[in-house]
Amino acid sequence: MKTVEKEVGAILAGTISSITQRSIFNRLGGLATTPIQQLTPADRATILSELENSVRLFARSNSPQLIASITKALSAESGAAAAAAGGGGTAPTVAAPRQLPIEQEKDIATARLEAWSEAVRIGLSKFASVKVATAVSELARNIVFYAGKGFVELRSLKDDRGVIGLQIIATDQGPGIPATKLDEIWAGTYKSQRGMGKGLVAVKKLVDEFQLDTRPGVGTTVTCIFRGER
Amino acid sequence: MEQELPIIQIRNCLLVSIQTELHDRLALDLQASLMERVRAVNARGVILDVSAVEVIDSYITRILNDIGKSVRFMGADCYIVGIRPAVAMTLIEMGVELDSVSTALSLDLALERLELL
Repeated sequence: MKTVEKEVGAILAGTISSITQRSIFNRLGGLATTPIQQLTPADRATILSELENSVRLFARSNSPQLIASITKALSAESGAAAAAAGGGGTAPTVAAPRQLPIEQEKDIATARLEAWSEAVRIGLSKFASVKVATAVSELARNIVFYAGKGFVELRSLKDDRGVIGLQIIATDQGPGIPATKLDEIWAGTYKSQRGMGKGLVAVKKLVDEFQLDTRPGVGTTVTCIFRGER
Repeated sequence: MEQELPIIQIRNCLLVSIQTELHDRLALDLQASLMERVRAVNARGVILDVSAVEVIDSYITRILNDIGKSVRFMGADCYIVGIRPAVAMTLIEMGVELDSVSTALSLDLALERLELL
């Protein structure tokens, strides 16, 4: 039986790298491994709106053709239902804050991709979106390496003129960073076993606003904001 | 699931195309097998193609620098090729250095330089 993953993977092969495909399918959760025949119309709508965003993002030039092929592949078994879901313009995804659990290394890649597509969705430039993804990568890595688990939350910031930026909140209930270590980190003299020891400094340099709240024994929260260029 | 990155030999250079998420184990395995292969085939250089890597953070930079250092210790050169423009800009802004490797725009150019060494 052909699963969504297999069928869509074959279409995307050659255009989107396997590493990126992996992250895209991770976002679909259980739907990725569901046989196409067993999809409900609602499943199809969900898959298509997810894939549409990712395909636009990663395969800019030929994304319309790819999306058309994916729509067709997904509707192979019951054309009418899929056409209703895909053709009639799917409902836009709600811009609720996304809270991403970070517990293992593969969650870092997922968080990065989520952050990237969120940045593109709210209209940040291509370069700014890579910066957002990199900052989220650093923060998520810190959570996995030092706290074990935590969350990364993405929120688009709006004022009456529209979206003005993206807020990233990384929070954990890990050991916290002791004051002496923090001094070393900001001074650039901290050496980490696994990384460069420069993750936090790097994030601070990438973002427009940065706030660190860490309490030994309680946890760490990093809040930062990217503003779109105007 | 055991994973290993394929190492391809082109003339007297070794090529690795990074298409997957690098994590601790994978990176260490790659470093070790590259060093063995450098010695086994008397490689002049190692080329890591990162053109499929969309985001390079400080951790990945450390891995690349570590591989570069170990390859250089053995007397071969290490090239990183295919860094995307947005990735380069981000690395500069972060103040992170890729100082233990050489870089080239493309695989061709890296091979050319390694041949001329």
